[in-house]
Order: sequence, then C-alpha cells, then structure tokens
Amino acid sequence: MLAYYLRLAATSFRRTPGLTALMVCAIALGIGACIVTLTVYHAMSGNPIWWKNNVLYAVTMDSWDPAQPFDTDRPALAPPQLTYRDATYLMTSSIPKHKAIMTQLLGMLSGAPGQRAPVPVMTRATTGDFFPMFAVPFQFGGGWDAAADRGPQPVIVLSHAENEKLFGGIDSVGRTILWNGRQFRIVGVLADWEPVPRFYDVVNNPFAGPEDAYVPFNWGPALQELPAGPSSGWGSQPVQSYQDFINDEDVWIEMWVELPTAASRARMLAFMNSYWAAQRKDGRFQRPLNNHLTNVGDWLQVNHVVNDDNSILLRLAFAFLAVCLINTVGILLAKFLRRSSVTGLLRALGASRGQVFCQHLVEVAVIATLGAAVGLLLGVIGLKAVEALYTAASAMDAGSTNYVALTHFDPIGIGWALGLAVLSTVAAGLYPAWAIGRLPPSRYLKSQ
Amino acid sequence: MTLNLRPLLSSLLRSRTGAILVALQITIALAVMVNAVWIVSQRIADIEQPTGIDDDHMFVVAIAGLGSGFDLSSALAQDLAYLRGLPGVVAATATESAPLTGDGQGTQLFLQPGQRGRSAALGVIQTDTQGLRTLGVSLIAGRNFRPNEIQPFSKHSLEQSVPEIIVSRALAQALFPESDALGKVVYDGAGRPMTIIGVTHDFMGPVGLGNPKYQTALYPKTPGEYGAYFLLVRTVPGRLDVLMQTAERHIGASNLDRVIFFAHPLQFYHQRMIAENRNMAIFLSAITAMILAVTCLGIFGLATYNVSARTRQIGTRRAVGARRRDIIAYFMVENAFILCAGVLAGCALALATGYWLSVRYDLPRLDLYYLVGGVLFLWIVGELAAWQPARRAASVAPSVATRTV
Repeated sequence: MLAYYLRLAATSFRRTPGLTALMVCAIALGIGACIVTLTVYHAMSGNPIWWKNNVLYAVTMDSWDPAQPFDTDRPALAPPQLTYRDATYLMTSSIPKHKAIMTQLLGMLSGAPGQRAPVPVMTRATTGDFFPMFAVPFQFGGGWDAAADRGPQPVIVLSHAENEKLFGGIDSVGRTILWNGRQFRIVGVLADWEPVPRFYDVVNNPFAGPEDAYVPFNWGPALQELPAGPSSGWGSQPVQSYQDFINDEDVWIEMWVELPTAASRARMLAFMNSYWAAQRKDGRFQRPLNNHLTNVGDWLQVNHVVNDDNSILLRLAFAFLAVCLINTVGILLAKFLRRSSVTGLLRALGASRGQVFCQHLVEVAVIATLGAAVGLLLGVIGLKAVEALYTAASAMDAGSTNYVALTHFDPIGIGWALGLAVLSTVAAGLYPAWAIGRLPPSRYLKSQ
Repeated sequence: MTLNLRPLLSSLLRSRTGAILVALQITIALAVMVNAVWIVSQRIADIEQPTGIDDDHMFVVAIAGLGSGFDLSSALAQDLAYLRGLPGVVAATATESAPLTGDGQGTQLFLQPGQRGRSAALGVIQTDTQGLRTLGVSLIAGRNFRPNEIQPFSKHSLEQSVPEIIVSRALAQALFPESDALGKVVYDGAGRPMTIIGVTHDFMGPVGLGNPKYQTALYPKTPGEYGAYFLLVRTVPGRLDVLMQTAERHIGASNLDRVIFFAHPLQFYHQRMIAENRNMAIFLSAITAMILAVTCLGIFGLATYNVSARTRQIGTRRAVGARRRDIIAYFMVENAFILCAGVLAGCALALATGYWLSVRYDLPRLDLYYLVGGVLFLWIVGELAAWQPARRAASVAPSVATRTV
C-alpha cells in the first residue's frame, strides 16, 4: 500500500512540479536556518562536563568593596574570582574530593629540539587536581602530585597540539623544555581535549579553547608572574610590588572543588562561612554574606556564557520555520482541494477516510523528507558561511575565539534535522490530509 | 467605481482557511520584520560610532620578554628610536594598553582622596610625548606632556602614580559636569593626586565599544609591569603594510631575549570590535528577507489559487458587464482584507515581541515609527504580490462562462 501511495505522490509531484519545489524549498530554508542557529546555540550552551555537573562547584566569596558591588548591574553577584589570600586558605580544606585553584599566565616555550624561535603559549597555572577533577584525557604520562604543587617542582604538561608542534607528536614525557627561560620537565601530554565552552574559566573568553601548557600554580608567585587574564582590585593602597598584589584585595584566581555528596557540600559551605566570619571580625568581608558553591550548568548561566544575540537568532529561526510551514499548509490545502474530484471518485469506489488520509499524509511526508534533506545541506553550507564570516574577523593569537568549534556540524544537527522534518510533516500535513478526507464524496463527484 | 463588498466578504468567509493561513504569515512577518529592523538600526548606529583615533593608519606590535634576563627598558627605547627613524612613520609610542584591542587597563578616578566624591570609570593608555600624535588625537585645551613628565618604568613600583594626566572630553565632563576640568586635581583609588593638564576630543580606550567607551585618559608613563608592551605606530597613508612587515622583521631579529607576540593593523581590531554587531545585522536581515519572501509567495499563491478556482465566476461577471478593472479591484480588495487582518494582528504581535525583547534581553523599547513604517511597507509589498494574479483574472474572457470546464 505504501508503495502505491508513493507512486500516487510521485504522479502528483509531476503534475505540479513548481508548487512541489516551492514547498520543498520553503521547508528546506526553514530547517536550514534552524540547524545553523541551533548548532551554534547548542555549542555555546553546551555543558562539556555534564556527567559531573552536580559534583563540580565553582567557589566564590564576596570580598569586594563595601561601598559598591563588584558588578553594579547585578549587585547580588560575588566576583567570579578569589583573592590570593582566600584561595590559598580555602585550598587547605580537606573536605573536597578534588580541589584546584588556577589562573592564566603568559609563557614562552623554547629549547625544543630544532626549535629556532621561542613560541608564546597561554599557560594555565593550576594545582595537580585539575586533571583528575575535570577528567582531562592524557595521551602520554599524566598530571602532577601535591609535592610538585608545594615545591613548586619544574613540571609541565603540554596540550596535544603543542606537542605536535614542538616534538612532532612523539612521546615527549621525561624531556625538558624551557618555560619563560627555565627548565621544566614534561610529565604529561594531553590527548585531544576541547571543552566548549571552557567552563572552568569564563572570565577570560570562554570560547577560546583550553590552554597549551600547564604548570603548578605556585610558579606564578615564585617567579612573580602577574596573571595574563583579568584581575580586578578596589583597595585603597597602591599596589607597588608583586607582594602587594597578592596580599591586596585583587581578585584573579578561579577555584573549583569536587564535592560528591550533599553532606560534603554542606560542610564545605560551613567551612567557607566560618572563615568568612573570622575574617569579618578582622575587618575584611564587609559586604553581606555571599559565599557560593555553583555547579557547572548554573555557573555558565550566571556568567552569561551564551550571548543574547544567539538566543534571539534561535527564536527568529523558529519563527521563520513557522512561516514556512504555514505557507506549506496553505499550498497543500489548495492543491488537495483542487484534486478533490479525484479524491471523491476514490471515496465512491470504496476508499475509506483513513486511506485517503494516509495517502495524502505520505505525499506530505515525502515533501517534508525532501525538505529536511535539502535543509540539512543548506544548514551545512550556512554553518560554513557563518564560520567564514566570523573567522575573517578573529585574530589567530592565543585567547581568541575558536569559531571552528562553535560552528562544527555534529550528529546532533542531523538529529535536529530529522526531528524537525517529522515535526514539519505533522504540523504541515495533518490538517490538509484530514480536511480532504473529511469531504463528502458526493459533492465532488458532481461536475465542478 | 463602486464595489459591492457583500459578495466579496461572503466568498472570503466561505473559503477562509487559506486566507487565515496567509494572514497568519503576514502577522509573524510583520512582527519579525519590525523588531529585526529596529535591532539592526541600533547595531548599525553602534558600528558607525567613531573611534576618535586614526586607526586606519596605525598598527600595533605586542612584545613579550623571555624570562628574567630581559632588559625591558633598553629594548623599548631601542624599538622606539628605530621606529621613529623609519621614513613613513608619523609617530610611535609604547603602551601597556592598546586602544580597541580589548587588552588593557581600566581604573576609577575620584574628586576627593580616599575614594570619596564624584567618580568616573575610564580606560587608561600609557604613553609618552608622542602619544597624542600617534593616536591622531587632538587637544581641545591645555598642553601635551613634557619629556621630563614621563615616568620611567620601575620593576619595584607597579602602580606608579602620575602627577599629570590628559583626559578625553567625555571623562572631563563625567568628573566636572559644571565646570572646566583643565587644571583641576583628581585622585586615584590610592588617594594620590593627579592634575589634568590637557583635554582632548573623545576617543575610544582599550575596550573600544564597551563601557566606559569615550572616557579615556593618557598617563605619561613607560610600560613594562607585565614584562610585555605594545608598540603603537602611525604611518603615512598607503605605507602601513610595508612598514609593519619591516618593523616586525627588524624588531624580531634585533633582540633574541624577547618575542613578538603579534603584529596587526589597528583596523583589524576595529573590525573585530564591530564584527559581532555586523554579523548580527547580517543574520537578522537575511532571515527577515527570507520570511518576507516566503510570505509574499504565500500571498501570491493564495491569489493565484483563488483566481483559478473562480475562473467561471469571473467569466460570468465579465459576461454580465463587469469591466477588467472591476475584476482587478475585486481581487485587490479581497487581498487588502487579508492584509488588514494580518497587519492588525501583526501590530499586536510586534508590540508584544518588542516588549518581551526589551524585558528579556534588555534592549531599548521598539520605536513606534518603525511599526508604522513596517505596516506601510508590508501593505505595499503584499498588494504588489497579488497584482499579477489579479491582472490574470482580468484577462479571463467572458466566453469562459458559457463553456463547461
């Protein structure tokens, strides 16, 4: 029966090729626009570590100026970063299963075999738990231990891409390289790892991709390296030296903890609150109590990682798809009604309402499937165009947005296209097919 | 010409589904178009904001030292001497905070020490006596820095105070709305005094379009706190690319204790700064154009269908005396009814969408002139889309009425 319906549909398309093409194009344009906006939106709003969403928490405490909030537009928010004093104190807690503090440093790598000029790399200065806590995959070797953090020992982890560049992709673990002119031993090389967005650091561009080198956090203070990312201060003492900088109320450190149970979360918060109370007695923390443990999903939301433009465009694309579908319903209805004498004949010869309904629904489904296929193609082309539009205006230097990762066409796009095609069939086809099956046959058997 | 609306309305009401569907498309199209055009107009206004600096003829080189052995002060002095000696270079300066790059410093100034009194946020650009010339920024009042006022870089004094500053007019007005800022004293967060020795026309600081857009100050200071600095160079027209390459080659080879992080024309950052607005404008316009096109096709399709479904009726009317223009008028008025219904609902939806956008995304409220413009535009386009089918209807011969189809 299905084959027969498909044959009927083909005959119908041949009789009105223009209208059929019009409907396919309308659905394709609508679906294509939706795929483009959905893919970018999905990449931006993704949670790259969703499976640990409810065990990983960003730590924030409001150490800011009593006279005004950190963000005057959103006064309820604490600064997204911590001061050196608070971060190092909170790191002494043994409550979290894993804990890490981190900042961005500018590093120069030199001394690799055959390397002529030093290369600048964005470096994440962090503590050893960073790797197990964020489930960072290694190609060779691994991270470092607490002893290396305390030292700090001259150990370094390279990204997959940086190892390709400097060592041709060989197992470079155990070799040494110069980081800012000092000898560091390579202890690990990451496998391909591209968390989009870079959830653990949204203060810097969250779509810039992960750093290419990782060193123990204490190298920052040991070498008096100022952070390469943003730092903000409000203190009334002039910051004259690096020592002033880390003793001052400047916030520049991100902190994450892994708290697997509700009980451990409560204990961690209690630990933060008692520290807050003790410090308050000494004259710090004069703003209202605002200590927070924020999970990954909420963290991305609070920090507006998905920008408003993308969410507006996503809704616009759906409005467009709606117009396309309404248009298709109109055309289908007109087309089916013009054929109603044939339908009347079929009904008179014994075709049931259900059969007439199915026959027309198959015709709609074919159109929607074709529309989805073309739409998928348009979506892929559209994503390429978006990528070209963005990369034309992006710097190749470290820290700039990786638009390729944002416009990467993934299987989810195919899933969306299929879903939208089914939805379009249902939305556009049900009413016309039902309306035509409902017509009394006698009326349409009479001459027009 | 008289037109009896009764039969028109009754036939419209009898086959209403198609008309309702087209009206619905018009509704959505109007709501989308009005709000999209409103947003695009604001983005274009943002894009066209002047930077206030001569970014067309400037380039920036970012330099970072390698390790602790790097003698930043002498490298910086050599670089500046080299650049200023290059034919075609108008002026050059070194800073920690390059305009439009998003990479730089912001701070707050106060009218009284101890972070009291009126305050204003600002972007800071460190520079020397050639700063104004390099940026292409002119003084409205006061004077430029003198060579002896430029603070040297010292590793042991990160946030050095500067006794004299030059401020943009926007910053001067933010601090002193009622009086002349020239010669006045302001204080930094640490309570150290600074005298305003010059006021310039408005120009953008390191964050460009972001706040505090035109509130910018020049500090007479040699950079180096971060072991890195930017060289800003302004060239004569047409020589930028060549000079940038020459400078990059020479500076890269002259001192192996440091690396060039990047060298870009400032225009590159200007483009990057407006890219988001530009792309949003492009996407919005593209999708709006497609919605309009599909809606017009819908109007056209419905009119065509109505004409072909009523061929005999038209023939009969022609046979009993209706003129061609009566037939055209009939279809155009019918279309006008559908447009009217769609546009009325569209106005409501456009206003609701505009309100929702302003609440949800903090956008400015929809300007009603845009709604009026949108209604007129859609009306004209909608009638044009029905014009061809109506003309075809008018060409139906009266004899059709006598034939059986």
